[in-house]
Amino acid sequence: MRILLIEDDPSAASYVARGLAENGHVCDILADGTDGLFQATRESYDVLVVDRMLPGLDGLSMVRALRAAGRKTPVLFLTALGGIDDRVEGLEAGGDDYLTKPFAFAELLARVNALARRPPVQEVKTTLRVLDLDLDLMTRQARRAGRPIDLLPKEFTLLEVLMRNEGRVVTRTMLLERVWDFHFDPKTSVVETHISRLRAKIDKPFDLALLHTIKNAGYSIHAPR
Amino acid sequence: MRPGDLWQHSSFRLAMGVTLFILVALMFASGVGYGLMQSQLLARQDARLTEIFSALEQISLQADDTDLIEAITTRITASPDRATVYVLKDQTGRILAGNIADLALPAEWSTVKAADLGVATEYPYRLLTRPLGRNSLTVGLTNADLEDLRKIIMASFGWAVLFAFLATVVLGVVLAVRVQARLSLSETAVARLAQGDLSARLPVSARGDDLDRISQAINASLARLAALVDAMRQVSTDIAHDLRTPLHRLRIHIEDAARKVLSGDAIDVDLAAAIAQSEAIDQTFAALLRIAQIEGGSRQEKFAAVDLAGLMQNVAEIYAEVAVDAGQILTCDCTAPAGVMGDKELLTQLLVNLIENAIRHCPAGTVIRCAVQSDDTTVTASVCDTGPGIPVAEREKVLRRLYRLEKSRSSDGAGLGLALVKAVADLHGGTIILQDARPGLCVDVQFPLAAAGC
Repeated sequence: MRILLIEDDPSAASYVARGLAENGHVCDILADGTDGLFQATRESYDVLVVDRMLPGLDGLSMVRALRAAGRKTPVLFLTALGGIDDRVEGLEAGGDDYLTKPFAFAELLARVNALARRPPVQEVKTTLRVLDLDLDLMTRQARRAGRPIDLLPKEFTLLEVLMRNEGRVVTRTMLLERVWDFHFDPKTSVVETHISRLRAKIDKPFDLALLHTIKNAGYSIHAPR
Repeated sequence: MRPGDLWQHSSFRLAMGVTLFILVALMFASGVGYGLMQSQLLARQDARLTEIFSALEQISLQADDTDLIEAITTRITASPDRATVYVLKDQTGRILAGNIADLALPAEWSTVKAADLGVATEYPYRLLTRPLGRNSLTVGLTNADLEDLRKIIMASFGWAVLFAFLATVVLGVVLAVRVQARLSLSETAVARLAQGDLSARLPVSARGDDLDRISQAINASLARLAALVDAMRQVSTDIAHDLRTPLHRLRIHIEDAARKVLSGDAIDVDLAAAIAQSEAIDQTFAALLRIAQIEGGSRQEKFAAVDLAGLMQNVAEIYAEVAVDAGQILTCDCTAPAGVMGDKELLTQLLVNLIENAIRHCPAGTVIRCAVQSDDTTVTASVCDTGPGIPVAEREKVLRRLYRLEKSRSSDGAGLGLALVKAVADLHGGTIILQDARPGLCVDVQFPLAAAGC
C-alpha cells in the first residue's frame, strides 16, 4: 500500500515509517501541511496519516481543503489532543479515523489496514461469511455449519465488526469504540470477557477456530491458513 | 480625603449635578409662575382702574363738573398716601383737581415712574387717561403690591438656591466619604487579589443594595476561581507525587533490560513490563486531562435528554459477564425510563466507573446491584455491593483525584475512577452519596429530573 505520512516530529515520523515499511507498505514522509496538501492532491495514495498539529497548514485545514478538492483518500488523524470534542472535530473535517498519541504501532497498523480496504462505495451486504460461519444481518441470525447459534445483541455486533474486517486485525480500542461506543479505556477486561463468550459460542463446539487473538494487537477472524 | 479630591468622587459630582439640574428647573418654574402671577395682577389692576374711571364717568354724566371735582377731591383725601392718583384737566390743559404733578400723558394706558409724578416712592404707577366730556381724566394706581411680590419671589428663590446648594455640598461630601469608605475596603481587597491572594473578598454590608449585589457576585466568582486554582494546584501536586512511583518502576524495568543486554540475557519480559508501565502512566494522564476537561464545563453546551435507566441497563448488560468472570453477580433494576439532561458519553463513563469500581474492589461472591429510580424531582443511579465497603473516615477522600485506600495502593489503577464520577456528577448538577450497605458500599448519584417528555 502507498501511504503518505504528514508528521513534523522527525523521530515519530521515522518510527511510524519504519514500521509501515516492515509490514510491506510504501511510505512517503512530509513535515509540512502545505506540502502535504500539494502532494496528496497530485499523487494517488491509499491512506493518508496526518498529524493534527503541523507547521504551514494544520492537519484539520489540510484535510478540509483536500475534501473540498474532491479527494476521497482515507485519512487517519494522529494527535496528542485526545478529547472527545477534538475527535469529533477531526471526523467532521473529513477524517475517517482518529488515533491519540501515544499509541501502540499495532493499533496504527490495524487502523491503516482497516481504512485502506474499506470499500470505496459501501456495498449493501446483508450476509457475511467466514468459512462455514454465516451471519445474516437482516434476520440477525448466526449459523455455523448450518447450525443456528444464539447470540446476545452485543455479541452479534461484536461478531459483525470482526467479520466485516475478515482477515484483518481489529484492536481492543477499535472494538470498544465500534461495539460498545466506549471512547475511554475501561479498567476491567470487558473486551476479553465478551470475546471469550463469543468464542465459546462460535468456536468451541467446532473443530476449527476462526476467532484468533493477535498478541499485543487485537483480534482477527479468518479461516485457518 | 482632602477637600480638593472631592471633585474626583463620582458620588459628589452626581450630587452636584442633580442640584444644578433641580436649581435650573426651579428657576424655570419660578419664572413661569411669576410671569403668570404678574400678568394676572396687571389685568386686575387695569380692571380696577377702568372701574374707578367708570364710576367717575357716571358722576360726570349725572352731575356737573363741580360735583365731579368734589368727588375726585373726596377720593384724593381718602388716599393720603397717594396709592391712587387722579388728575382732571379741562380742554386747555389746566388742572381742575389732582394729587400728582402735571405731566403730558399719552391717551389710554401708560406706566410712569413715581418721581415724574412728583410722588416720593420708588414704585412706578399704572395710569389710564381718557377724555371725560370736555375734560380729560387720568386715574392711576401704584405698582407697589406687584413690586413687593416680585421682591418676595426673588428673595425666596435666592434663599432656596442657597440652602439647596449648601445641602447638596453637605450631602455630596457625606456620600463621597461613605462610598469612599466602602470602596476603600474593596480597593484593598482588589489590590490583594492583584497580588495573587485569592482568599481576599469584597466587603458586603447587611443592606443588600446594588453595590452589595455586585460584590456578592464578584465574591462568588472568586470563590469558584479559588476552588479551580486550588484544584489545579492539587492536581499538579498529585501528579508529581503519584506519577513518581510508576515512573520509577518504568525506570527499573529499563535498567533491568539494559543490564541484561550486557550479560546477553533475554529482555523481552522487561520491555513488555516497561511498555505496560508507560501505558499505565499514559492512562493516568488521559484520565486527569479528561477530568480537567469535564470540570471546565464546556461540554454542558451539548447536553441533551438521556434515559439514565436505559443507559444503566445497557452498561449493566455489558458488565454482567465481566462480573461472572470475577465470580460475582451483577443485577440491574432499571425498567422505568428516567430522563436527565446530560452528555450520554460522560454519563456512560460515570456508570461504567461505578460498576468497574465495584467489580475490581470486591472479592468473588459479591453481589452487585445496579438500579435507577426516579421521583418527582430527581433521578438516582445507584450501584451497591456486598463487598468490604469504605470506612466512614475515608468516604469523602475517595472522591478526590489519585486517592486510593491504603490497602488498594498496591493494586493497579490510578485512583481516578470516583474522581471522574464526581466531576461528571458535578457537571450535571448531581450529588454523590456514599452509604454503608451493611455489608458493602452503596454509591448513589442523584441527578435533577429532566423536564417531562424526555
